[in-house]
Amino acid sequence: MAAQLVNFYERIGQAHGALGRMKLAMLTNVSSAQAKNAADSQENIQKFEKALAQVLSELKG
Amino acid sequence: MRISKKLSVFFAGVIVAFSVLAVTLIMQLRTQARQYDALLNSPIHQMEEARVVQVDFKKQVQEWKDTLLRGHNSDDLANYTKKFHDMESQVHTEAEALQEQVTDPEARQLLEKFVNAHTTLRQKYAEAYKAYLEGNADFKAADRIMRGADRAPTDLFDAVVARLNTVTKESVAQQRQATSKGSKVAIATAGGLLFLVGFFGFLIVRDILARLGRLKQVSDRLAKADVSGLVVDMQGSDEIAEFGKSMRGVHAAIEELLIAASAQSKAQAAGKGQL
Repeated sequence: MAAQLVNFYERIGQAHGALGRMKLAMLTNVSSAQAKNAADSQENIQKFEKALAQVLSELKG
Repeated sequence: MRISKKLSVFFAGVIVAFSVLAVTLIMQLRTQARQYDALLNSPIHQMEEARVVQVDFKKQVQEWKDTLLRGHNSDDLANYTKKFHDMESQVHTEAEALQEQVTDPEARQLLEKFVNAHTTLRQKYAEAYKAYLEGNADFKAADRIMRGADRAPTDLFDAVVARLNTVTKESVAQQRQATSKGSKVAIATAGGLLFLVGFFGFLIVRDILARLGRLKQVSDRLAKADVSGLVVDMQGSDEIAEFGKSMRGVHAAIEELLIAASAQSKAQAAGKGQL
């Protein structure tokens, strides 16, 4: 289980709900269900960090 | 390779293939034109020249007979003697010129024999003419000397014409064969290039259509929100692969929405249960 990737979903969910989770999925191409089975690789983590920053920036205003 | 690049390369390949084909056909056409020119300038031209010499030789004999027949009149004697000598020189010059032109060894040898025979004949004609004058237009004495003398050169020149005719026919047959072979090469080249262009075009189109087909299946399932077990697997680095990557994002977003909707429904159901 990719705990770190799932954690990204929990963070964005707490901050922006379903809309944030959907945008994160759109940017990473990985849904929360898929994240559970994905590897916590450096590449995946970097991709999620970048996408999370973008979603937070978009939904900030 | 990107589809745009693939299509550009294919298009460039088609242009190159047809340029090669056009150049090949033009070169072949020029070669055939040169070969036909050579045929017209050599064997056919020599054949025509030989027929001219043949006719001129018959005219020479005719002038000799006119000289004997009408030489009792001094004006006619001068006239026909001049015509005879003119024709005699002309035949000799033409035969020697033809001998220089002809490349076929057999025809050349026959021409050489004719030129020698014609030289001998000249001497005989001079002897007969002298007898004719000394006999006071005695054509019988002159004819006795010349009787049958022109037969051998006539036969020799007929043989020259026959040989050149054979050479011409052989050359025409060879040319026809070369043209036929050239046509076959042109057809094979054109066919081969068309096959290659068609084959590679077919492969490219088949690949694009197959990938678009897979993408359409994914799109149809996303349109129905049927994401269960859906895998968007588009390998490569072309436009379709990029489109597939976008579809993966849409797939993930729809899946996420469905998860959120499912969670919301469960929460609502739980709320109703508590009421």
